[in-house]
Amino acid sequence: MQERDALLKKKVESTVEVIPPEQLKALDEIIDKYAGTTQNLIPALKEAQEMFGYLPMEVQRKLSVGMNIPAPHIYGVVTFYSFFTITPRGRHTIRLCLGTACYVKGAKEMLEIIIRDVGINVGETSEDGRYTLEAVRCLGACGLAPVMMIGEDTHGNIHPPKTIGILDGYQ
Amino acid sequence: MVTLTVDGVKVSVKKGSSILEAAQAAGVRIPTLCHDKRLIPYGACRLCIVEVTARGKTRTMPACFNPARDGMEIATSTPALNSSRRTQLMLLLRSHPLLCPSCDAAGDCELQNLVFEHQIPDLPFARQSRYFHLDNDSNFIRFNMNLCIRCGMCVRICEEVQGQSEISFINRGMNTEVSTDFMRPLDCEFCGQCADICPVGAISSKWLVGTGRRFELSHVKTTCSFCSLGCSLTLEEKDQQTVYVNSSHDGPNEGSLCVKGRYGWTYAYSDGRLETPLVKKNGVLTEASWEEALDAAANGFARIKKSHGAQAIGALGSARLTNEEGYVFNRFVKSVLGTANIDHGGGISHLSLTEGIAPVLGYPASTNSIREIRNARVILLIGADLTETHPIAKNEIIMATGRKRARVIVIDSIKTKLTERDGIFLKAPVGSESIVVFSMIKTIMDEGLFDKASIGNKAEGFEALLESLADYTPENVASKLGIDVNSIREAARIFAQAPTAMILLSEGLYRDSSGVENARAAADLAVITGHIGKESCGIMALGEKANSQGAVDMGLTPQLLPGFALLEDEASRKKFDSLWKTKLPATAGLNAREILAGAETGAIKALYVVAENPVDDYPDRLQVEKAFKEAEFVVVQDIFFSSTAKLADVVLPACSALEKNGTFTSAERRVQTLRPSTKEKLGKSDLELFELLAKRMGSAQFTYSSPEAVMAEISKCCDVYAGVSYDGLGANGIIWPCKDSGDSGASILCQGGFPTGKAKLAPAGPLNAPVAKDGQFVLVQGVSKFHSGSMSMWSSSLIQVCPEPLAEMCTADMNTLGVEEGNTIRLTSETGESVRLKVKWSRRSLPGEIIVPCHFPSLKLNSLVKWNEPLVKVKVEKA
Ligand code: SF4
Ligand code: SF4
Ligand code: SF4
Ligand code: FES
Ligand code: FES
Repeated sequence: MQERDALLKKKVESTVEVIPPEQLKALDEIIDKYAGTTQNLIPALKEAQEMFGYLPMEVQRKLSVGMNIPAPHIYGVVTFYSFFTITPRGRHTIRLCLGTACYVKGAKEMLEIIIRDVGINVGETSEDGRYTLEAVRCLGACGLAPVMMIGEDTHGNIHPPKTIGILDGYQ
Repeated sequence: MVTLTVDGVKVSVKKGSSILEAAQAAGVRIPTLCHDKRLIPYGACRLCIVEVTARGKTRTMPACFNPARDGMEIATSTPALNSSRRTQLMLLLRSHPLLCPSCDAAGDCELQNLVFEHQIPDLPFARQSRYFHLDNDSNFIRFNMNLCIRCGMCVRICEEVQGQSEISFINRGMNTEVSTDFMRPLDCEFCGQCADICPVGAISSKWLVGTGRRFELSHVKTTCSFCSLGCSLTLEEKDQQTVYVNSSHDGPNEGSLCVKGRYGWTYAYSDGRLETPLVKKNGVLTEASWEEALDAAANGFARIKKSHGAQAIGALGSARLTNEEGYVFNRFVKSVLGTANIDHGGGISHLSLTEGIAPVLGYPASTNSIREIRNARVILLIGADLTETHPIAKNEIIMATGRKRARVIVIDSIKTKLTERDGIFLKAPVGSESIVVFSMIKTIMDEGLFDKASIGNKAEGFEALLESLADYTPENVASKLGIDVNSIREAARIFAQAPTAMILLSEGLYRDSSGVENARAAADLAVITGHIGKESCGIMALGEKANSQGAVDMGLTPQLLPGFALLEDEASRKKFDSLWKTKLPATAGLNAREILAGAETGAIKALYVVAENPVDDYPDRLQVEKAFKEAEFVVVQDIFFSSTAKLADVVLPACSALEKNGTFTSAERRVQTLRPSTKEKLGKSDLELFELLAKRMGSAQFTYSSPEAVMAEISKCCDVYAGVSYDGLGANGIIWPCKDSGDSGASILCQGGFPTGKAKLAPAGPLNAPVAKDGQFVLVQGVSKFHSGSMSMWSSSLIQVCPEPLAEMCTADMNTLGVEEGNTIRLTSETGESVRLKVKWSRRSLPGEIIVPCHFPSLKLNSLVKWNEPLVKVKVEKA
């Protein structure tokens, strides 16, 4: 369980450490240019994404403080428009539920299988650019535990050894 | 006014009202799922559709955001409308998990109620299963986004009313849900407004989970016991335990509560509650029977009185006492103990009312009401960080500056949440706020922007005020305080020229005596600009404690008798001599500071402390502790074993605000009822204790049968309470002055004149701005929205969100000192005392300032602070 909690935290930490603070300084220019009104948020986000390729947590936080726009609002905008992305992504996002119900019903084994056979841990994208793995706390579908979402599809009641078989359906 | 008919009922409403409001006025209910009167209409649910016939055409439209117009005929419940509502509901049910049996909201769910009302027996659509996030990790509040119907009320109340924007809609289309950024747990005001407004169970208060169904709970309607805004509370109880607190949407606060009101009540259930009286035996406080303890207290006072005279006794009360308790306490001290040495709130908290506002305007009270703030065009905040001190008043400013585009002028030493709103920020060091206000007055006078037409008829002292302001030119003040001179001028012009403008002050022990000057300057400003005696104008002085206003009304000061009568005025004294069957002292007594100084030197031998914690809350902790140690005999009456109680000879357990009857008078002069929860009562009410002590000290006069009987006496001797009686208080109380039982009270004072004829403009004192030397930091005693005085330290829930004091600093100062967040620093003040605490970065703090919350007894922050020195200079080192 401790290990699991570390993984659930890891998702956050891994995004925190993606961009070193020196590089974040580059955002100041964007902030200076756009701070002032909320209307400027979208152009500011666009430029930030051009700069870093994606908009991880620390970029959003820095824009939030600098432009004085609440972080939840920025996150709302970033997740609303499909041209913004939060992580450098694979073609398919695997959201593996590590909530308590899923964890005890086999999500742990599924995670081990993904780490071993696909070669990615939580927060990572596979080298071939196929998958990005995310761990989530609970998908609210505990009755279907263990649950894994791939893109928009929900897979439930997974027998762990079948994990790779399911992933193979997504090229 | 526009006149229309709703379902055949003719109704007239204010122009600009919505069709929904018109229907409510006509007594017709229209179903809604995304509307709340506190929010800007949104139009998401389409349940409020009505058929409108005007000029021969009939159209269907949502009632919540379409204005009512003259001659409209509205039908709210035709077969077509109901069928369309049914379809809307079925669409919602398509993806709503129908787990009602295990949902905490069942029975209190708007969706469930409407589905029942519209009799939807089955679901013709294929069900859709989508999975959204759950959050069980936030304090107090849990999210289950699977239940969300996307009405947007939570997001809107958090932004439009709270001004927090802690949650937002995220993702798009079918995947939309409500969340913080990156689905982190909440880190916000924890007001619980989102959970309260959610029509379904998607956001709920954790405490309800598994405690019981809403319809199984019993309800007690009472008044919040923390700050002076007087929000009404509904205690929801099961098995004689409060399990949840809520607020009626029909109350003065419209259902809004802050974190203390909604979640802070756990203090009443704290382990720290005193239950058994204590008496000092052989130097140790030992449990004793009530008889023994009351005898010890009464005998102790009698002994001191006999050997040293009544003037050797001092009494410190509190604005936590109800009106009835305050009144009887005052009577007990001034007649039975026989001394006028009585004070409360350190003798500081009420000064802005009694010495600032009253001499100018005639009443020691706020002139207007809280809900008028939202319609003011300009709001001037003087040292009032309302987000932290009075969150529900802050909401008014958020609403005014948001949808109504009002502007706010903030005069404060720190940046606050409200300096981010549209307006002007004038930074003034702690204690110099009034200098800026006087400088605004000077500008207004010099530029001829004052209320020329009527100033002569309305006020006297204009010339003297002008003369006293010679030094207060904006240039001079700007250069002394380091503010931009044009900002002062602009603020003056904006304020003077606004059609309506209100001034807000916040009061409390943490503010020291600068409150008087601030209030005086504020009163002058309101008078010369004519922003007084009108709606959305005037001054609001918002006290720290629930009964801050009532404590002044009941005269808990060395000079006053109840109803603002002066002790030194013979006629008033005679009136109370005969009412109280006593001979009152003829001269004013000592104030809190003098009482404690007297105890230190030995002039005061006995101290009676009621509901107050001077050791932790008053300035100059060492002196206060010394005073208590030196005093020969100390009785402390409190609900907790406070630091002060530890120094007592007799400790009497009192019951909490959740366990007694009485009334509080809020900052808008609203007299409101306090009702006891069904929980077991611990200790005795302060009222009972005064009576028991009086009886033991040979006074047979204290035979009030109940708080209600005390109020009957109050209404006889206090003019402004003349018409107040328990029967007349109703659900939402009465605003004083209330002349007789038919009078519903006056929410605006000084309308059409001042009680003393003309307002008496107060001249400004000499300009001296205390400034810190280079290298010195200024300690700003802050208030945290999660705490109130030191009482909230006993609330497990409030401690859970704000467990320790942190020193807030800005980036520049942190870099200079070489400290990072979480490092420990030591602050040493000119008293020679020092405290150690951790650092936190904050955008509120400006260079050279360090903000520390004043609530934590463990920190002993008050040992750094001296009486009457608002500007506390400290040396800061990395520890
Ligand atoms: S608790 Fe209050 S501040 Fe926090 S998210 Fe809910 S409404 Fe917003
Ligand atoms: S969480 Fe509740 S209040 Fe918020 S949008 Fe969903 S249903 Fe409405
Ligand atoms: S604003 Fe004041 S009165 Fe209202 S709930 Fe909060 S503490 Fe209580
Ligand atoms: S624990 Fe996995 S869906 Fe709830
Ligand atoms: S209440 Fe009018 S659209 Fe929801």
